[in-house]
Amino acid sequence: MQIKAVFKNYEYLLFLGVFLILLPIGYALDLVSVNTVSLWGRYFCFAIAAISVDILWGYTGVLCMCQAFFFCLGGYGIAMHMLLADKGTGVYGAVIPDFMVWNQVDTLPLFWEPFYSFPLALLTTLLVPLIFAMLFGYFIFRSRLKGVYFAIITQALALAMWLLFLRNETLLGGTNGLTDFKTLLGFDLTTSTTKLSLYLLSCMVLVLVYWGTKKLVNSKFGKVLVAIRDSESRVRYATYRVQNYKLAVFVLAAVIAAIGGMLYVPQTGIITPGRMEVKSSIEMIVWVALGGRGNLKGAVLGTLFVNFLYSIFTSLLPGSWLYVLGILFVVTVLYLDHGLIGLPAQIKSIISNKRTSKL
Amino acid sequence: MLAQPDEMTSQLISKDQALRTQALEKLVREKKIEHFPLISAINQKRLYLYDQQLVTIGEPIAADRSDEYQVLKVYPDTKILRNNQGGVMAKKRAELTEVRFSRPARLILLPVLPYVNLVSPKLETRKLAFVQFQQNGNPEDLKILSDARDLENDNYMSRLATETILSIQLKSSKITEKVHSLVDQLVSNQGDNTAYILEQYLEQIPKSHPSYSYILTQKEDLEDRASRIALIQNAFSGVSLGSILIMIALGLSIIYGLAGVINMAHGEFMMIGAYTTFCVQEIFNSISPNSSGNLSFFLSLPLAFVVAGAFGLLIERLVLRKLYNRPLESLLATWGISLILIQLARSIFGDLTSVSTPFVLSGGWEVIPQLVLPYNRLFIIVMTIVLVALVYFFLYKSNNGLRIRAVTQNRDMSACLGISTAKIDAMTFFIGSGIAGMAGCCITLIGNVVPDMGQTYVVDSFLVVVSGGVGNLFGSVIAGLGIGQLTKALEPIFHAVYGKVIILIVIMIFLQFKPKGLFPAKGRISED
Amino acid sequence: MSSILEVSQLKVAFGGVQALDLESFSIQKNELRVIIGPNGAGKSTFMDILCGKTQADSGEALFRGESILGLKEVDIAEMGIGRKFQKPSVFTSLTVYDNMLLACRMPKGIWHSLFFKINSEIEDKIHEVAKKVGLESEMTHLAGSLSHGQKQWLEIAIVVLQDAKLMLIDEPAAGMSDKETYRTGELILNLMQHHSIIVIEHDMHFVEQIAVDKVSVLVRGKLLTEGSFNDVRNDKGVIESYLGTGAALQLTE
Repeated sequence: MQIKAVFKNYEYLLFLGVFLILLPIGYALDLVSVNTVSLWGRYFCFAIAAISVDILWGYTGVLCMCQAFFFCLGGYGIAMHMLLADKGTGVYGAVIPDFMVWNQVDTLPLFWEPFYSFPLALLTTLLVPLIFAMLFGYFIFRSRLKGVYFAIITQALALAMWLLFLRNETLLGGTNGLTDFKTLLGFDLTTSTTKLSLYLLSCMVLVLVYWGTKKLVNSKFGKVLVAIRDSESRVRYATYRVQNYKLAVFVLAAVIAAIGGMLYVPQTGIITPGRMEVKSSIEMIVWVALGGRGNLKGAVLGTLFVNFLYSIFTSLLPGSWLYVLGILFVVTVLYLDHGLIGLPAQIKSIISNKRTSKL
Repeated sequence: MLAQPDEMTSQLISKDQALRTQALEKLVREKKIEHFPLISAINQKRLYLYDQQLVTIGEPIAADRSDEYQVLKVYPDTKILRNNQGGVMAKKRAELTEVRFSRPARLILLPVLPYVNLVSPKLETRKLAFVQFQQNGNPEDLKILSDARDLENDNYMSRLATETILSIQLKSSKITEKVHSLVDQLVSNQGDNTAYILEQYLEQIPKSHPSYSYILTQKEDLEDRASRIALIQNAFSGVSLGSILIMIALGLSIIYGLAGVINMAHGEFMMIGAYTTFCVQEIFNSISPNSSGNLSFFLSLPLAFVVAGAFGLLIERLVLRKLYNRPLESLLATWGISLILIQLARSIFGDLTSVSTPFVLSGGWEVIPQLVLPYNRLFIIVMTIVLVALVYFFLYKSNNGLRIRAVTQNRDMSACLGISTAKIDAMTFFIGSGIAGMAGCCITLIGNVVPDMGQTYVVDSFLVVVSGGVGNLFGSVIAGLGIGQLTKALEPIFHAVYGKVIILIVIMIFLQFKPKGLFPAKGRISED
Repeated sequence: MSSILEVSQLKVAFGGVQALDLESFSIQKNELRVIIGPNGAGKSTFMDILCGKTQADSGEALFRGESILGLKEVDIAEMGIGRKFQKPSVFTSLTVYDNMLLACRMPKGIWHSLFFKINSEIEDKIHEVAKKVGLESEMTHLAGSLSHGQKQWLEIAIVVLQDAKLMLIDEPAAGMSDKETYRTGELILNLMQHHSIIVIEHDMHFVEQIAVDKVSVLVRGKLLTEGSFNDVRNDKGVIESYLGTGAALQLTE
């Protein structure tokens, strides 16, 4: 037991050592470019979203195909704030964002107002996904939609929201999305210092979210979630109100995903509806599946691994990425029940099985 | 052997500028409808001399031979020239001698130019020309308009021409009885713009005019009729959209019922069917460029079934058979497959291709004037009815269908009773995917063929399956029609996007009351 | 003693087939009632209705004087009806201990679960029940790794821990060895000191072991007869419904 605990700590130390110490030092010594640092910062944001997928799907067994939408709600929120905070610095020098000028809107729409001040913007950006998830989830879980039905309904939701955000009338930038941010809280987004700070912030938020969700899944609440995954009806007969639990975890996942989005957008400098397409949500699921569902470490590992692969393949073999991703989907589902994180155990059991069958 | 050019031709092609001007002035003065094609050709700088005849070039001979054109004789009569074998003659521009006119010379034609489009070979151009005369026509145009009407043998166009003539007569007539009869004639002519013409006329005359109230009621009746027709037309579009959804949902539903797998790549089978159709068309075009596409399309229907079915079978063997009764896992794996298939299609075919509608399915069935049901959409609806009927008879009246239903209900027990479940699975996947392929073939009639076309329909089809009750044929049909209708009913009111959001909300509310869809499977086994 | 469960005119049909048509049925406090009957007699359907899984078409069912028809599963479970399914239904990826912990009677709201701290009272109770069902040594194992029989016992333990006043136990001995079956019988007899129990069973040896009170026979959704095990065993109607008319004649001769 004790050796195991040390080993566990060792994994965490490795992660923190590489990303909080080695990478920044590498950057300081000019061995790693600021873009690479920023890239990993973005992967951390994805990993935060992946954790939200994992507590939903991995632990509770609820396959939600609209997590990318919640991720984008966070992203759009912070983007709106940055555009308003930079007012007057656009091409037209107008108080309203440039894209509104193109669309012949001359006064700021009312729903943009809360995004002027940072604290209010932060609050709104967290409240919007929270309330949305609460309303949507309430009705869905009330009617006991689950499994495939739930997946399809959330997929339809993702599609509908994507189409909605593509429109210019929704005043969120249409197809082009929101971009051209200059500063966040007065810090110039183009400077390396800001980029590095955002990277460190993402890393720390990831650690925080990980720690929080770890606590959560280890609590009795987490055990109820796993119980729901195993046998929803049995949980009900054990007098737990399943729909409340599902709703709670759904709302929590939405907010976590939104936090990921909030950190993501200042680092990429753009948010478009393309990020909330159905396929983005499904990709998040594959990160988790590949890393190992029902395992928070697996979610983080899977995300970093797939995105790292993505950056390699798009630079080495452009055009091949979708094939690789497709094959990853299939292979993961067919052969990696417990993902990469469960691979050593899986190999071990295969070997021991072979041995016993030989004997 | 060269034919001797007639007087007009020789004047027009002569080197003498005065002679040419004279000829042009003659054309303008005479304002004869037979001369309009010639005038139009001169004005568009598309007049050529070929074999001592004045000709112009028509449509390109084929899509892939865009530099070769049909040759149309324009004077003294109009006809398409044919080659020695009796086929349509094809010429490149360079093979014809252009007859040029200077800009001042062409300006001479200005007074007749508004008329020449009345006899254009293109229907759309003629339509526009007539509508212009409805706006600005004078009584002196009536002669030419009625000549032009005589040339029309299209029902729709001759109604439009009549409407134009009557509208000009109405505008210029002052006698009450005459007005009455003209209005009656207009109404019984059932042209498209009659209500508008009457409305404009009402604005011209004072409210005290004896016919005012009569015309007003006629106009309002027409408007009522138009809105009723729009309603029917919309309902028809809804049925045709629903039909497509049903065709895709059929396969999805059967396969989910049988194997408990959600096939996200189902939309891609549809895409495969569409590309099969495209390939067949290309092959036909390369063999005989002038084919109208009839044969190629109808041949591709069964081929699309087989090809898409084969893909379905392959995917079942390779991947899905390991994922039976694990719907969520199968959903992810098939999503991966769909990514691969889309990317494959993109790298083979590029981003956008289209299949030309076969000749027999172009146009539409004019039920009553103004209510035209396009043949291609009618075909899709008929196709769906046939497919649903076939699937119904197959599932419920044939031995294999009985086996499929047996395996759907209880796989282990069926295997014990000697049913080869592997064979049944293979058959079901083949048929389910094949139907999607046929749907893809049909969709080429109404849209482009693009690699990710399956994605557009598959989410909606899933909603059909869910709200109809998984695995229920009848439920899928009802839900498909319902969702199709709702989509089209909302479209005129909201933008399509908001329509989609509203439909999602409606389905969510519906599922509050019927969480297992319209027709849930009943009994103890259905609960997990 | 007053009856704990009172059922009258309970009817339900699936797609035109009358699955259950129960005129009257009641059991007393701390009674152990065994329901037998051929396949498709409506036994499991009856339990499904009692625990809220299936909705009845008409009729009345009173549990401790309160109507339970139309209520959700959770509400019925909270009132004190526990159900053990025919196919063992436990949380396979949790340990045996966690399975039992989740079942324990305590507030089951979200906040409570979030900040729940184990205390010795609950700990003792779990161990006591674990001992009763013979799973003491398996506490740290995953429930999914248990044998079929052990899963059945675990499920019984879950129902016991949630402190059900009325336990609905569906075929507890299915798939068990003779020894295991006997132990299960002992367990059920032991439970009846504190709980009212309805057991559905096919295995007649097992029924003989546990049928200390009345046995009810359901046939085609209707209550055929009720009585002691011996009365029922020699009832002509019962033999007929199980074995057909000819067999009944043969046996009685």
